[in-house]
Amino acid sequence: MLNRLTFRQTYLLLAALLAAAVLLSAGVGAFSFSPATLWRYGAQELGLAARDPADLLGRNVFFDLRLPRVLLSGLTGAILGVSGTLMQGLFRNPIVEPGLAGTSAGASLGAAAVFVLGNTTMRVLSPLGTFAVPACAFIGGFAATLIVYRVSSTFGKVNVFTLLLAGIAVNAVCNAGTGFLSYVARDPQARNITFWNLGTFTTAEWHGVTLVGVVFLICLAWALRQGKALNALMLGEDEAAALGIDPRRLIVRLIVLNTLMVAVDAAMVGVVAFIGLVVPHFLRMAKSSDYDFLIPASALFGAALMEIIDVAARLVIPPAELPIGILTAIIGAPVFLWMLLRQQARSDPAGG
Amino acid sequence: MVELADVGFRVGRTDILSGVSAAFRPGRFNVILGPNGAGKSTLLRIAAGLLTPSAGAVRYAGHPVEDLDRETLARARAVLSQDVQLVFPLSVEDVVLMGRYPHYGRVPTARDRRIVEGALEVVDLTARRRQPYPTLSGGERQKVQLARVLAQIWSDDRSPGPKVLFLDEPTSNLDVHYQIHILDVARGLLAGDCTVVAVLHDLNAAFEYGDAFYVLEGGRLVETADSAERISAGLLERVFRVHARRAVDPGGGGWYWRFSR
Repeated sequence: MLNRLTFRQTYLLLAALLAAAVLLSAGVGAFSFSPATLWRYGAQELGLAARDPADLLGRNVFFDLRLPRVLLSGLTGAILGVSGTLMQGLFRNPIVEPGLAGTSAGASLGAAAVFVLGNTTMRVLSPLGTFAVPACAFIGGFAATLIVYRVSSTFGKVNVFTLLLAGIAVNAVCNAGTGFLSYVARDPQARNITFWNLGTFTTAEWHGVTLVGVVFLICLAWALRQGKALNALMLGEDEAAALGIDPRRLIVRLIVLNTLMVAVDAAMVGVVAFIGLVVPHFLRMAKSSDYDFLIPASALFGAALMEIIDVAARLVIPPAELPIGILTAIIGAPVFLWMLLRQQARSDPAGG
Repeated sequence: MVELADVGFRVGRTDILSGVSAAFRPGRFNVILGPNGAGKSTLLRIAAGLLTPSAGAVRYAGHPVEDLDRETLARARAVLSQDVQLVFPLSVEDVVLMGRYPHYGRVPTARDRRIVEGALEVVDLTARRRQPYPTLSGGERQKVQLARVLAQIWSDDRSPGPKVLFLDEPTSNLDVHYQIHILDVARGLLAGDCTVVAVLHDLNAAFEYGDAFYVLEGGRLVETADSAERISAGLLERVFRVHARRAVDPGGGGWYWRFSR
């Protein structure tokens, strides 16, 4: 499909797709903005054109609601795409994504703990302020991922069956914890937890977007330099070590940074399934498994895909919106099954 | 030269290795022999700097191995183990290029590309360079891994000096064609003063290719010999718990071992 393109041409194609998706996502919704209107707002914002009082309402809607939402959904897609790629590299397995490895459920439990126990624990958490939810989500996600990785890897090899079982067990514990918390919670807290498990971009605001954006850029800058190390890790921990890489350090950093961006994002958006699975898988089938390519490409493609899905979430049952996590699962799961079937038909052993 | 001085390794209260001293010299094919569980692979991993011994020291050209940084060490020694799996479909060429990772930063240089070409030529896989690694047969996969380690310790005027190749049962699940090919290529490196250290299970192949022998039993070195002639039937019978008989090769005038239970 993309076979004949060079890596650079593929990035350009994906960037063009992302640009189109962003324009679409910026324009479509309860308020529609044509590209011409967006252009005018942009010119006004940069001081190139006089501000028209008639634009006041539209501008407010666009800059306070639409734009942060567009940015947050793009960032979420990019984070989940890159995260899926990093985790598949870490576990050396194409079926891993933040949901399966326990990261999302652990982060969920951490955040739910803040929602529900917030009042009693506030004295401890108050220095963290608005960072309390992302921080606890990070701790929960990190602990869960680390447990799954430790249990499923022996002597540097990851056992797929143990991985699945450990993932199921850790997910079950975390979900039980979250379930317990929502059972004992009062109504507004319980609704917060429900929102978490379904995922939504409706609450996007600038503070959250800035935090997610900064964390993502830091993690991406690091991830972009790990292509060689992740490629070498495909051979196994011993082989990577023989090539001059410190696998232990790489693995701990991978888990920390990956959990950091997933947890911080999930603290704003909630749990969004399948993007982390589908994005790297699609890019692998379409182009290459080289991590030097996969990491930037999954950021671009993940962002574009998430914008498109967010547009769909706004359009399916207007004026209401579908929670994004429901839509990604409805679209993502069949697409994933179709990819698996296609792969089996080609009897390509690469599927693991 | 790679030296092991009084190396020991224990896990919990079990001694996997104890008191092993050896000097693997350049230009020699050093073979580590011993039954399953004797500690051969552990010894190889310690010598390669992949595992830190609980006692004793490992030295490369006189320098303690822990003083060398990982990348410097990776430019001087490579490790080929058996049946390296790759779940993702990288091309043959991409896998061989990994051997150059310790040598370049973000982007491979023209020299790295040339060396990859050279390594592919040595293993006769130039024509299949674009084929996905997982679609190859076990023997072809091992040839690709061999090309990868060759690329890693490729000697030319830009990267001279003694190199070390460790082979950890590299031919255990290969047919005789691939076995001979891989051991021949390893043997060919000796001319460039490379040190080869191999764990081999096929005793006849070991005696055919090796020129220094280290026999391990229960984590201890029970025999070192610098010629296959010096390995006695009695030693093999005791260590491997078999009957051993030296037979004359009617075709070549050499000899080989026949084993029975």
